[in-house]
Amino acid sequence: MTVLQPDLPLAGAGALRLRWPLAATLALIPAGFVLIGLVIRYFGYAASVGDESIAGFPMGMCRWDCGWYIYIAEHGYHHFPTPGMNAAGNWAFFPLMPVFVGLVHMVLAMVPTMTLATGISILMAYVTSIIAWPLLGRDLKAYTIFSAYLLAGPWSIYFTTFMTEAAFILITTAALVALERRSYLSAGIAAGLLSATRIVGVFMSIAMAAQLLGDHIAARKPLRSFIPEILRRPDILLGLLLAPMGAFVYMAFLRWYVGDGLAFLHVQRAWARAYGNPLMFVWDALTDFPKTGWIPTFPQQLAAAVITGFVLTAILFVRRKWAAGTFSLISITVPLFAGMASTLRFTAAMAPLPILGSRLLARNWFITGIVVLGFFAADYYVARAWIDGALSLV
Amino acid sequence: MSSAAFPARPLRRGQGPWLYAAAAVVALFELGVTWLALHPDVPADYRAYYLDQTTTCLNEPVNGSYSFGTEVTFRSSPDDRLIKPLRVCGWEGPVGDGLHAVGESARLRFALPYNAQNLTLMLEMVAVDMAGPRGQRVVVSVNGRNVGEVRAVPKTPRRFDFTIPNALLAAGHRLDIELSFPDAIRIDPQDSDTRKRSIKLLAGKVV
Repeated sequence: MTVLQPDLPLAGAGALRLRWPLAATLALIPAGFVLIGLVIRYFGYAASVGDESIAGFPMGMCRWDCGWYIYIAEHGYHHFPTPGMNAAGNWAFFPLMPVFVGLVHMVLAMVPTMTLATGISILMAYVTSIIAWPLLGRDLKAYTIFSAYLLAGPWSIYFTTFMTEAAFILITTAALVALERRSYLSAGIAAGLLSATRIVGVFMSIAMAAQLLGDHIAARKPLRSFIPEILRRPDILLGLLLAPMGAFVYMAFLRWYVGDGLAFLHVQRAWARAYGNPLMFVWDALTDFPKTGWIPTFPQQLAAAVITGFVLTAILFVRRKWAAGTFSLISITVPLFAGMASTLRFTAAMAPLPILGSRLLARNWFITGIVVLGFFAADYYVARAWIDGALSLV
Repeated sequence: MSSAAFPARPLRRGQGPWLYAAAAVVALFELGVTWLALHPDVPADYRAYYLDQTTTCLNEPVNGSYSFGTEVTFRSSPDDRLIKPLRVCGWEGPVGDGLHAVGESARLRFALPYNAQNLTLMLEMVAVDMAGPRGQRVVVSVNGRNVGEVRAVPKTPRRFDFTIPNALLAAGHRLDIELSFPDAIRIDPQDSDTRKRSIKLLAGKVV
């Protein structure tokens, strides 16, 4: 059989068994970045606000959608009509992250919600680093870069405050690890959680199908036997069906609670999204030159993020990473139909892209060191821009 | 499960039937939720705004609390609290230059004394600057009946009086006022209809 071999052997648990010095190293590297990132962002926060305090730091980092998530964690979802007497119900925000924080908050009620959410997010980012080890080719340099990216890098604000990105990148990574091991049932369970985290999580089911199709074609089997062979494997079938389960559970909840299972889609009308051609959105953003100076405009920054995302996605396909490539392609492209808003955040939290980027940058320890130092500097300035409300970071 | 069709982890003996049963349960659940999602059970206001999109103004259950006969200023002021019970939907603000209408219609609600009769509604409006010299037509209806059409122009606020026939006074002792903007403008061609701009409301009164 000429099936392409995955990065991980199919042997299972043994594949992840580590010698303890290595395990300690893998545990300590992201732990160090947790501390460094906290210090860097604290200084960024202190430089941006007039009344900084350690107690106020978590809430000081709460921007944009963060306020919605705090509300959901503390009060749950809006009924209809909404308490604010407006059309913007909070049904657009998928439940996994805020509900998880809310449940933990019920146990640890003495801890402020935002402080708790910050701790949970950092823990999720830490775990993401560790479980990504096999996807990083078991290369300590790539692992160091990826850990720094999550915990002390330019976009660490997404993974260490109260947004959905920490959960999204963690569960995406878990699903991809399971797919690399061709454990479709585990991948389906992870994908099911992913689909309750952000709407694009449902596309992991397509990514799983792409992985299966890639393997099928690589084995030189005819296309007509693809579906029958899936039906002969109940674990794969169940995995594929479980993949969108989180979204279905949320739909069932919304149908019971609001009367509309698709409220998360319909409520977008209140945000007055402009729908159009993604290519035109990217082009318009790219050509939105600054009126003065040379610093790229916010739209240009978003366009740069999207283009970088597409380039990395193309490399994933070249490397025949069908699941990772398919998931990244769809999850970057679909939001673009509603414009450029949040595309930097979406691209930054698309797990396969920073994982691939880390592998590409990890040439030697010198370059790794330069990249990590660059991340530290960027973390400080981006944290300040985040607090100051830079639109490209929304 | 003998065939190694895909490079997947092998199944344990006896797992197959359980997995098929679980798959069937999951599939049934997802089909059921899909059916429910395609058949929403929602109030008429929800349906009109979110589903059918026949209105840009989502009715909100404000009580219309109003001190009969007083003029309410819709500019940002310490008396903002007087505005909230009156604005049903289709407004943004108040800000310094009034309450901005967004979308193709906007609504106000005034609760009235039970014996109020022979009423006149006064509205002070100015069109948004981008409307140009032709201004913006505003069709005003009260409790579902058209009571007049006026034209607001940019930069020069105008006061308009509308006579409310006694026959329109509902048993609920309130005026539900709808302002429709047939000439409302999209600032950007790709803007949603909920973002159309037309007029700014500066003041209102029922006497």
